[in-house]
Amino acid sequence: MAVPVGVPKEEFLQSVRQALGRDKSPPEPGYAPLQERLADLEAQAAEVRRRLAENSAALVEKLAWAAGRSGWEVNRAAGYEEALEHIASVASSRGVTSVVRSDQPVFDDLSVDAALEAQGLTVTTVAQDEKRSRESLRQEMATAGMSITGADYAVAETGSVALAARQGVSRLVSLAPPVHLVLVRPKDIVETLDDLFLLRRLEYHSQGGDMGSCLNFVTGPSRTGDIEQTLVVGVHGPKEVHLVLLP
Amino acid sequence: MARVTTQDFSQASTLSIDNPQLQRALRRVGAGFDAERLAAVEEVTPQAWEEWRDQAQNIKAHTLAHLDYYLEMLHDNVIKSGGKVHFARDAAQANDIVAGLARSRDVKVAVKSKSMVSEELDLNPVLEASGVRVYETDLGEYIIQMAGETPSHIIAPALHKTKEDVAGLFTENLGLPHTDDIPTMARAARETLRDRFFEADMGISGANFLVAETGSLAIVSNEGNGRFCTSAPRIHVGIAGMEKVIPSLQDLALFLRLLPRSATGQRLTSYVSLISGPRREDDEDGPEEFHLVLVDNGRSRLLADEELREALHCIRCGACLNVCPVYRKVGGHAYGWVYPGPIGAVVTPVLTGLKQAKDLPYASTLCGACRDACPVKINIPRMLLELRGKLAEGTATERKAAGMTESILARGYARIMGGPMLLSLVHRAGRTLQKPLGWAPFVSLSKTKGMFERIQVPPLSRWTRSRDLPTLPSRTFHEIWRKGQARKRGGSD
Repeated sequence: MAVPVGVPKEEFLQSVRQALGRDKSPPEPGYAPLQERLADLEAQAAEVRRRLAENSAALVEKLAWAAGRSGWEVNRAAGYEEALEHIASVASSRGVTSVVRSDQPVFDDLSVDAALEAQGLTVTTVAQDEKRSRESLRQEMATAGMSITGADYAVAETGSVALAARQGVSRLVSLAPPVHLVLVRPKDIVETLDDLFLLRRLEYHSQGGDMGSCLNFVTGPSRTGDIEQTLVVGVHGPKEVHLVLLP
Repeated sequence: MARVTTQDFSQASTLSIDNPQLQRALRRVGAGFDAERLAAVEEVTPQAWEEWRDQAQNIKAHTLAHLDYYLEMLHDNVIKSGGKVHFARDAAQANDIVAGLARSRDVKVAVKSKSMVSEELDLNPVLEASGVRVYETDLGEYIIQMAGETPSHIIAPALHKTKEDVAGLFTENLGLPHTDDIPTMARAARETLRDRFFEADMGISGANFLVAETGSLAIVSNEGNGRFCTSAPRIHVGIAGMEKVIPSLQDLALFLRLLPRSATGQRLTSYVSLISGPRREDDEDGPEEFHLVLVDNGRSRLLADEELREALHCIRCGACLNVCPVYRKVGGHAYGWVYPGPIGAVVTPVLTGLKQAKDLPYASTLCGACRDACPVKINIPRMLLELRGKLAEGTATERKAAGMTESILARGYARIMGGPMLLSLVHRAGRTLQKPLGWAPFVSLSKTKGMFERIQVPPLSRWTRSRDLPTLPSRTFHEIWRKGQARKRGGSD
């Protein structure tokens, strides 16, 4: 059976042009952000990075405050040992027996697996290999009591964490388990959404135009107000979210 | 396309006003959403908020003025990221495209996240007719799907339902033990829908924004169902009105500041997903296919009308509903189509037919609260007046037909009002004629008010159906004035 295809692109665009009474010519003057060259983006990004480095301490404060307001349980670890203790205590106090985690650089510095396994928990890294298929990993994520990820970005303005789906970073790992814990390093923090999108655009244009399939922003727990505008936390996503700020 | 009942506005709004349950729900709109929005604006400072609104308005105006250009850019970048783009002229075409994808890919179960455009298209029955089981997964949409109803608010679709209503629906449809405890019901929805997410072959979403520069679709949500729908099934279909495009990823920062604050007062919703194509080869999960369906369905008519084009700036936050004195009394369903409230009163007549929706442009006090609340500064009252103008002028043939009687009446009226002689003559004649009228059996006259309350013969019966008709006073102002002047002159002499 032939699949219906709708209207050909050119015909559709022509009807839009007709409605506007215009021809094919591009906007004049061109739209400013789209006129920027790679060098412009690099210069702006360098400026952003300089500002972030200069204000590093203040940004940690700002992030902690905004995240707390958005419903994150914020923990500020003095050192890695303390962070590991905190993670283990979150898991044990919630009666968690199996944990899934992403595969991100932060786990190279922090031996989360060892700390949790020492307590008798099972830890599965959501990354395919000969033993673990997409389907089996999905099962792990569906049944795990908790997930742990790093943050590709943490946004101080909004108290958000952003994760880009890729090898080692599944979309469902931060969504399916009822508890999600995120490890944030100072270097992950950006000040504003503008900063984040600028850095992302630089990456996009310098990599020949690949955004990656999905960038997810998480700002607090899953919530709804759909019954009588009464707030309920934990509908389809995690009910509890923890932000651990590493030194 | 979704059923249109705009012609029943007046009747439906009367029923709404008499419905105490709905009135209670509507009172929460002001105390909840609108109070939160105002607090959020206060926090960023009203000055900064104004600047953001101006910027957003400029971006939207620029984009729409070159919409074909940005749609083409969007198309090219979606293709580049491995997705497919489909163009639909109307609702039937859009539904055919989605149902065709479902058939050709052997889709048995589809999960949907909240999408106003799919409500507009009335997609679900078409999918069901091709053998697909469709589940709405936003809690509010899930509730109204069970009830077989339509959304009554843009961001809170089940606003009109009480917790007792929901309890009844859950017991009846899910076989759950009866409870009206809201957290328990939300948990029940989580558990039932979790299985649907994992068994679904297709996830269907709307789009809050489409980014031309990167070919991305942005979804703003709180529950996490939007993320599930676009992550777990093997196919993701995004459906969007063609006006949703913004030029640069940089612009998204601004719109993400405006939308959640205007909708619920949040600084950012729990989730924002920026989706660019299907999963890449190395990704751990995500759909194998990504399809974007761009829908016109009457939008080019709004686009072509320079006076009404601004309605396409709308980012569907619902703020204009929450502040509207009319919406807050009549609720969403009275408006007779998918988009209620002030913005609906502009969009619905153009997308579904002005003549049938002729009451909607008048369903407003023109108080301007909607314009002030709008995060992209849409001048809704101006457009409502524009539509009233179109209705008053009518089509060319109507103008000709109405012209006969109307112009005779208008010319006569002008003649009478044109000079004091004729006016006073007509007035005196009227005074004499109305005396016996006061005794007539088909007339009820209130002497204390000096008003005819009911006259049961046409054409005056139509007037007195909804208002009183003042009687002609025993003396005109002119007569009183003249008498007064005469007395004054008499006294001073």
